[in-house]
Amino acid sequence: MDKIKKVWWLIPVVIIFLYPVTVGGKSAYWSGILVFAGIYVILAVGLDLLMGFTGQISVGHAAFFAVGAYTSAVLTVKYGFSPVLAMFAGMFLSGILAWMIGRPVLALKEYYLAMATLAFNEIIITLIVGFENITGGASGLRDIPPFSIFGLVLDNHLHYYYFVWAIVLIVIASSVLIIRSPFGRTLVAIHSDEVAARTFGVDCAKYKTRVFVLANVFASIAGSLFAHSMGFIAPDDFGVSTSVNILVMLFLGGIGTIYGPILGAIFLKLLPEITYLVQDYELLLNGVILIIVLVFMPKGIYGIFTTLRNRVFEKAGK
Amino acid sequence: MGDISHLVQFFFSGLTTGSIYALIAVSLVIVYKVSQLICFSQGEFFIFGALIMVTLTSKGIPMPLAFVLSILIAMAIGALIQQALIRPIQGSSIGALIVMTIAISLALRGLAMLIWGRESHILRPFTQGTPLQIFGATLQLQVFWIVGITAVVLLLIWLFFEKTSLGIAMRACAENPLGASLMGISVQKTALFAWAWGSGIGALAGIAVAPLMFMQYTSGVMPMVKGFIAMSIGGLSSIVGSVIAGLLLGVIESYTIGVISSKFSDTIVFALLMVVLIARPNGLFSKS
Repeated sequence: MDKIKKVWWLIPVVIIFLYPVTVGGKSAYWSGILVFAGIYVILAVGLDLLMGFTGQISVGHAAFFAVGAYTSAVLTVKYGFSPVLAMFAGMFLSGILAWMIGRPVLALKEYYLAMATLAFNEIIITLIVGFENITGGASGLRDIPPFSIFGLVLDNHLHYYYFVWAIVLIVIASSVLIIRSPFGRTLVAIHSDEVAARTFGVDCAKYKTRVFVLANVFASIAGSLFAHSMGFIAPDDFGVSTSVNILVMLFLGGIGTIYGPILGAIFLKLLPEITYLVQDYELLLNGVILIIVLVFMPKGIYGIFTTLRNRVFEKAGK
Repeated sequence: MGDISHLVQFFFSGLTTGSIYALIAVSLVIVYKVSQLICFSQGEFFIFGALIMVTLTSKGIPMPLAFVLSILIAMAIGALIQQALIRPIQGSSIGALIVMTIAISLALRGLAMLIWGRESHILRPFTQGTPLQIFGATLQLQVFWIVGITAVVLLLIWLFFEKTSLGIAMRACAENPLGASLMGISVQKTALFAWAWGSGIGALAGIAVAPLMFMQYTSGVMPMVKGFIAMSIGGLSSIVGSVIAGLLLGVIESYTIGVISSKFSDTIVFALLMVVLIARPNGLFSKS
């Protein structure tokens, strides 16, 4: 039994790899949706490191999603960079930017931190809209080239599916490793009591800035993937409402668990496909579902999942 | 001459939007003062107030009655939400509370779309008449209503918090919930009251500006964000501070749009917020 408990994560991994061979192989439409969902999984996992584990609220996570996407798009469209190089440039830029604003912003607490991150998100968006001649302004940038790695162009929907989900798995695995490392435990300590952590000699500002940089480099990767797989980006994709969406994914799936936000992201990105018949009710439905989760399931979807799993194991154990 | 008339015009429009920001900020501050909660759904009360008023007047209900009814309905919705949704999750993390008010905001916005559709609505002005001309700048009569309403509401709130026992009780709840409850003040009741009040004032802001602005189900988002900014600049629990910050924000915004560029006015406003937050985390007008 214990062995099964340790390798349960293999099940979703196998499902991910088998999907194209079984149901999804022919449907470019569904692969597209899953690529989209995967990109949001990266965003949600990054925010979970910052918010779920370190307790630092962000209502501006989409800001670095934008930085990644626009760096990739501008460098490839206007300056002929290769997508891989552009993606690394985006990661580098995001890292520097996050490092610069991290310390002053993360010195703020709770609502003030929420406001500051929201403001930063808006600043990025207004700058993108303002500098039209570089970013295409409000009407966006089109004809972004597809991803290519060492000459292999990803022009098939399955290529993208495998590529994006491989990165998703890398991001998840590294997040899990980070959380289990001493660094991760320090983050949890800062979350539970920053003053106590400081008394034990932890340089909280340094750790908070580091996790902020990490989360935002993840967001930047997601941004590059988004730009190259969609081929078209506009400021609307990266506004505060996107940040709020990622926040919602965290609470829907179960914050502070890594796996929860993954479920939240997938659920929220697949929801419109289920509710397209009731399009006018979509907004209301999203709100109501979230309210129900918050009131009745404080641990989110993952909470239900773990309860069920434990029950199954208990029974099997007997 | 032309330049002066422009500058005066910017001042007027800044004062108008500034009053709205101030009202929304005050509605946020009232809820925050009592329950230490920033309500991200305040923008929806703004549109609900305006759109309920549009519907009521279109049904032939006279303006003053529709005005009172709209505010009462908004207050009832606010009280209901507090009772049914906020109370059960009190004591959760701030993140959960923020997401809850965001969820309420999504649900209300979805509801508004179902009721009033995606199209824009406009309310007829409270009083008919030609706009005034001052130094070559035009001043809509509705602006007097907006500024007047703002002034009256603020005076009433000040009197309430300073002079009535209920107001003092509400302040006590904010400063020390446990102590207040030991003194026999029902923290729960005051929180309910604060929500009803906050929702009513949010709705009032929407109603006041509805004759000057096209209202649709998404129109509440930007005024709400600006209200937040005013509130943060003023210090989260300072009514006077957030009013001054709201007016200032309206005027600054109006001049940056007019004199510098409309493209970067929001960049400047948000950058200002970040600078204030980082330099003076308790707000520009806080005593400490």
